[in-house]
Amino acid sequence: MIQTIRITSKGQADSKGQGLLADVKRFLHIDSINNIKTAKVYRLENVDKQQALRIADEILFEPIDHIMSVNNPLIKHSVKIIEVAYKPGVMNPEVASIIKASSDIGINVQAADSSVEYAFFGNINQADLEKITKKFLVNKTIQHVVTKQPKTLIIKGSSPKTKTIQIRKLTEAQLMALAEKGLYLNLEEMKVIQNYFKKIKRDPTDCELEVLAQTWSEHCNHKTFKAKLIIDGKKKEPLFTRIKSTAKNNSKLIVSAFVDNSGVIDFYDGFALNGKVETHNSPSAIEPYGGAMTGSGGVFRDILGTGQGAKVIGSTDIFCFAPWDLPQKDLPPGCLPPDYIFKHVIYGIRDYGNRVGIPTNNGSVHFHTGFKAKPTVAAGAYGLIPKAKAAKQQPQKGDLILTLGGRTGRDGVHGATFSSGVMTHKTIETSGSAVQIGNAIEEKRVIDAVLAMRDSNLIRSITDCGAGGFSSAIGEMGEPIGAHVYLEKAPLKYTGLAPWEIFLSESQERMILAISPKNIKKALEISRLYNVEAIVLGQFDGTKRLKVTYNNQNVCDLDMKFLHHGLPQREMIGTTIVKNIKNSQPEPVTNLSSVWQKVMSHGNVASKESIVRMYDHNVQGTNALHPFSGVGYDGPNDGVIVRPILEKPYGAVISHGLNPAMMEIDPYWGSIWAITEAVSNFVSIGGDIGHAALIDNFVWPFPDEESMADLDKAVDACVKMSSILNMPFISGKDSLSSTYRYPDGKILKIPPVLLISVFGKIPDVKKTQSADFKKSDSVIVLVGKPDLENLGGTTYFDVTQSSSPQISKPDLNSLVQVLNSVTKGIQNGDILACHDISEGGIAAGLAEMCFGGQVGANVDLSVILSGAKNLSKRPDFVLFSETPGTFLVEVKSEAIAKKLFGKLPYYILGKTTSEQSIRIKSAKTVFTLNVNKLKDAWQRPIKEVFYGR
Amino acid sequence: MAAKVKVCVLRADGINCDNELEFAFKKYGADTQFVHINELRIKSKKLKAFQILAIPGGFSYGDDVASGKVLAVELVNFLNSELKDFIKNGGLIIGICNGFQALVRTGLLPFGNLGRMDATLAQNKSGHFECRWVKIITEKSVCPFLPAGLIADVAVNHGEGDFYSTREVVDRVEKDKLVTFRYVDEKGKRTMLYPANPNGSTNAIAGVCDPTGRILGLMPHPEKFVQNTQHPNWRRPDFKNNQAGFIIENMVKFAKQS
Repeated sequence: MIQTIRITSKGQADSKGQGLLADVKRFLHIDSINNIKTAKVYRLENVDKQQALRIADEILFEPIDHIMSVNNPLIKHSVKIIEVAYKPGVMNPEVASIIKASSDIGINVQAADSSVEYAFFGNINQADLEKITKKFLVNKTIQHVVTKQPKTLIIKGSSPKTKTIQIRKLTEAQLMALAEKGLYLNLEEMKVIQNYFKKIKRDPTDCELEVLAQTWSEHCNHKTFKAKLIIDGKKKEPLFTRIKSTAKNNSKLIVSAFVDNSGVIDFYDGFALNGKVETHNSPSAIEPYGGAMTGSGGVFRDILGTGQGAKVIGSTDIFCFAPWDLPQKDLPPGCLPPDYIFKHVIYGIRDYGNRVGIPTNNGSVHFHTGFKAKPTVAAGAYGLIPKAKAAKQQPQKGDLILTLGGRTGRDGVHGATFSSGVMTHKTIETSGSAVQIGNAIEEKRVIDAVLAMRDSNLIRSITDCGAGGFSSAIGEMGEPIGAHVYLEKAPLKYTGLAPWEIFLSESQERMILAISPKNIKKALEISRLYNVEAIVLGQFDGTKRLKVTYNNQNVCDLDMKFLHHGLPQREMIGTTIVKNIKNSQPEPVTNLSSVWQKVMSHGNVASKESIVRMYDHNVQGTNALHPFSGVGYDGPNDGVIVRPILEKPYGAVISHGLNPAMMEIDPYWGSIWAITEAVSNFVSIGGDIGHAALIDNFVWPFPDEESMADLDKAVDACVKMSSILNMPFISGKDSLSSTYRYPDGKILKIPPVLLISVFGKIPDVKKTQSADFKKSDSVIVLVGKPDLENLGGTTYFDVTQSSSPQISKPDLNSLVQVLNSVTKGIQNGDILACHDISEGGIAAGLAEMCFGGQVGANVDLSVILSGAKNLSKRPDFVLFSETPGTFLVEVKSEAIAKKLFGKLPYYILGKTTSEQSIRIKSAKTVFTLNVNKLKDAWQRPIKEVFYGR
Repeated sequence: MAAKVKVCVLRADGINCDNELEFAFKKYGADTQFVHINELRIKSKKLKAFQILAIPGGFSYGDDVASGKVLAVELVNFLNSELKDFIKNGGLIIGICNGFQALVRTGLLPFGNLGRMDATLAQNKSGHFECRWVKIITEKSVCPFLPAGLIADVAVNHGEGDFYSTREVVDRVEKDKLVTFRYVDEKGKRTMLYPANPNGSTNAIAGVCDPTGRILGLMPHPEKFVQNTQHPNWRRPDFKNNQAGFIIENMVKFAKQS
């Protein structure tokens, strides 16, 4: 019997209901509803009414501000009530806590669920109700409207048996038909598999085929990055080889590169730092809340699953969406509206990172219509690890395979293969099972337990269950030695899973550990202490095979060598296609104030403070440079500095850079832009490029010949910049499926995204700087050589509907010296504030520094204009050029600027003032702008998206 | 030299401000130990070995059902007599953020009624999680180690911080001098204005103590500002070192004397 408890707040106030009402009025223009109230619904199975009342009284219901009912409706006088719940089988993180707390008061609840009722007052018709439900309440991938009381909450089913797939006798057409049913392999690969099984004279099991498809998927194997290349008719080295070759640059810093779940660099006092950036684009496109959550969860586990376990000390989140006000008619079929994706991605990051207790302290959001089908959602994480435990170890023969954390369910089956495919209008319907909701507290428990095991020296090797689940984690860890998995031991969320589903499921919050038998007792004790389920699944057995059995029946028995090395190297062809971008320069500016405000309001420039304040960016108490600082705490900084060991002065400096708009125009120089921007952000807060490493993320359309050539150019740019900067790449990821196919076959590609992340160490966090101007009457200096001719891809060109095939290029000859001069100026205390130039140009940078310091500025552009070529004698171009590798700095005097920058390109722009205005003087004219008006234009847009007007 | 004050820094699933709280206590000379609540439940560690019980912030058990609720249920049902003995024997308790929410849900705050909830911490009036810096002032209260009139900069990181109850309860909390901290504006005056009052808390209450003054709870995080570089604005020329660490420091000193 199920008891149903409903709880709602006592008064009329109900923030969830009020928020929904505001959204309904604002976005759907439905004014007939005059109130919305919500109630929480709890269902408890196999308890009697008395027990339910006790659970309500002691756990669920607080009479101070609640009213409740048991097995009866609660909210009265509404015209319509709908109840929204997670679909059966989708993780509802609250359930475990309800069952635990009930057990703590002595009541055994067999199963439970929680959901939300929305009660509408006033008038509402069916059509409007459906609109509201669809837009705000239900994502049908994971949720449904409850129309009748469920009979049971327990999911049961009998397990399908392992099947043999008679692959040996299939024709080519039949092979491809098989591949299209979720294997996502091409004909050549299918034939390699067929031939292998012909050779060993048997047919594969369903599990073996799934394991091969997962291991060989683009998502897990990076076939494109490993492929032989022919670019514009010329042979080139594989992309991965080229990227990895950068490890020769400043190699003494590297502890490990490209061999573990993250890259590791040296820190101080016997510690190392590790970093990893992952993307979660495909899941976020169809279920942004869960997609973002599980993206964070996965990258935290990558940090945790490095060496013998690292502690996560910071997290970055970088997103590209279509503009939030994209007209409905422009939305491709089967895609979620961009404002929904934007908000729910942020909520997912918030609800996961905040709960795990990881400071989300660096990030950015970019807007471009090219992301209207598939967003780019990247989550980075950084960790601290004792250096002695930072190297990846291999399991030894006889080591036990321990699974730690969440249970396995059908959720997340086919995530690896789904993420490797092109998106269509049907993706949401066909791939719903690949998407999950994360359980942050399960992850936090796992982190606590793993770090305790590490500190007790119990872990030989560790990895996370990400894409491909057990198959990927155990298959990779066991590659050199072999493993036998007894699948019946795997703890399941519910019965009814086929063996291959158990092995391939990507259920969240699970780790795989190799533990020596002598340590297993202690390891299990620690798991119990932290309330983490830990089960020995099998052992690393020395057979060099991946053997999986289920109650003694064979499920999978594959040669590790074939599994990991049987995939033929691909050959990929790239062909440069000249992009036809017209040259259309903006008219000279007559109203600078208006265009400047437009630039400040552009999504790429506008303040993200409203987002950052929802992230617990200050948990752990370790920020030595916060994302925002200044008199009103509202001036943005270019990166973050974490002091991971509070009693020591050492800092971890973290930043990133990317620019999809520039990449779309010029993938080579756009990549240079991204890399230069990332290191400029790093340097402008006091980072030293001599003690830092790079992480790449290539988020690309499906690599057809054109995109392949673009990718090749981006990699060339990475290798070149790595060499110029003498900085190694130590970790990276490619995601090459950001293409959408319309029902009529038309293709929509995202602008290619090269996301570059930088992390490094500094010996003393006190020798760093923020971007807010510190006082009036300081000297404002532009350091580095601005590109005043090429403004293609800039925010200014976007707001003025201009275009150019040429984007802003940094001066690579002076770049390293400029970077080093800024680092030095910050470290010796001469630079009082520093901000790098990026989206919005000098105009945005200067304004942001004024916002933080609550000062104004007097700026004279003639010093730059007088030296410029005729073509670029435009004050607007000086103000809005987005040249990376250039900086605005505040110093006490011109003499100090001369001392710091000497022969490098630098320009004295003017002085800070105590007035709240920015005065811009160019040859003939003077413009005066009100700082507070600019600030309002800059703060308002994102605030409105999240909190309304 | 007197022995160091022993502090039990409580851990439980989802508590996540334990490291910085431990650091703060250590900085002020305490001898700290992390204790998982399961260790208290199975009695492998005992509360009576400590002089201070510190419940850090975080999302204990995901804040499922209500923030701090599942932890409160556990404290009330498994550590009932241990807590009563601990308090009776002069032990001090501090709950910060989620720890405060849990203490209020056990009933220990504001009136020391273990097992009976008299107040709640309701959702912020802004409707969402807030991570920002605000100012608080210490009130004249029965708390024996907090002098009145001190202003500190503190971090707040929470979604449910609105101290809320019936008129009678709030009046009694005020009358009995149980309010220890209030949110203040730039001028040091109590404020209901967002964001200086980040959650719209009744009477700008940021923290309270029980009638003995030895159980203290507050939403802001004093442990996150015990050294200058933790503040967003330590680089500014007019930076004032309004550290919040004195709350912890005074507590350790008081425990040492008593």
